[in-house]
Parts: sequence; structure tokens; C-alpha cells
Amino acid sequence: VAGGMRRGAPRGTLRAVLRRHKPQLRLAASGDLLIHLNFLMFLHRLAEEARTNAFENKSKTIKPEHTVAAAKVILKRSRG
Amino acid sequence: SQKKKREPALASSYIKQIFRHYAKMPVARDAYKIVEKCCEKYFKQLSDDLEAYAHHAGRKTVEIADLELLMRRQGLVTDKMPLHVLIERYLPLEYRKLLIPVAVSGNKVIPSKSACLS
Repeated sequence: VAGGMRRGAPRGTLRAVLRRHKPQLRLAASGDLLIHLNFLMFLHRLAEEARTNAFENKSKTIKPEHTVAAAKVILKRSRG
Repeated sequence: SQKKKREPALASSYIKQIFRHYAKMPVARDAYKIVEKCCEKYFKQLSDDLEAYAHHAGRKTVEIADLELLMRRQGLVTDKMPLHVLIERYLPLEYRKLLIPVAVSGNKVIPSKSACLS
């Protein structure tokens, strides 16, 4: 997509990251695509929360502090 | 200088690109560093959760159902927002085809059932 976001999933890297954390764990076929989906939604939530924080602080830029506050909330909501 | 052994991780440029896409407003350079750290924590948390689900079911393999359960518990999948809708919304067609069974002529279903949603 011109000017848009890269749409392809880094499938090998996603599997490698899981393997790094849990070497014994196997992942079903296409499981990495759902991890990719979850990751996109995680970043979507994080970005929206950070943007809300920036607005509330009347900032035109998302600053580190807005992101830190957003990270706390969104990581908590991402717990399974 | 000694080169550090690279751990598998998503490229920072990739994380930056996705975050910027969703942020829809300027993002300070230092904020991206926080995002990256946050992604590391996210993957750690995700791995722990998936391991717990698989172990709980007496498996060594993370199944598609485990990931669906995870997203339900995260409040992303609900009765009003089924997983296949999220797949259609976020993933390109090539991946949708791998995850959502498509009935084709000859009563065959692609892909095989084990690899996709029930």
C-alpha cells in the first residue's frame, strides 16, 4: 500500500521470538499469524492510549511520558 | 567494539512503522524507545500466557484455540466482535485465506481444518 503500512507479517521472527522465550513450546500452523494479529491490535491500543494521553496534556506530539502511561494500562489489558 | 549476539526480535523500524500508522499524530523519537521496550514486555507476557494455556490443556503445542481464548481474555474478541472479523479487519487477504476456511468447489475446504478457525 503506497504510503501505508507494510502488511506482511514477519512470520519467522514471530516464531523465533516465541522460541526464545519458550524453547519447548510448539506453535500450530498459522498460529504465528494470530500472534501477528494480536501484536497489531496491541500496538493499535497502545497508540490510541498514548494519543489520548497526549491530547489530555494538550500536546501535539506523543512524548515518552504519554507512552509510558499508555504502556502500563495496555500491558495490563493484554494479560491473558 | 564487541558485537553483541543478536536475539530474535522484531526490527525497530517495523515497530515504529506500525505504531506511527496507528498513532495518527507526530511521535517523539524517544517515545519509540518506550514502544520498543513495551513490545518486549508484551512478547514475554504473551509467551507466558500461551505456555500456561497449552500446559493447562496438557499440550506442548499452542493451538489456534489458545490464541482465540487469549484474545477473548484480552477483551479483543467478544460475542459482538468475533475473531474472524478482526482477522478481516487487520490482516491482508493472503493471510485471511490461511486462517478462515473457504469452501471451494468439490466440497473441499482450504486450508486444512487443523490450521484454521473452527
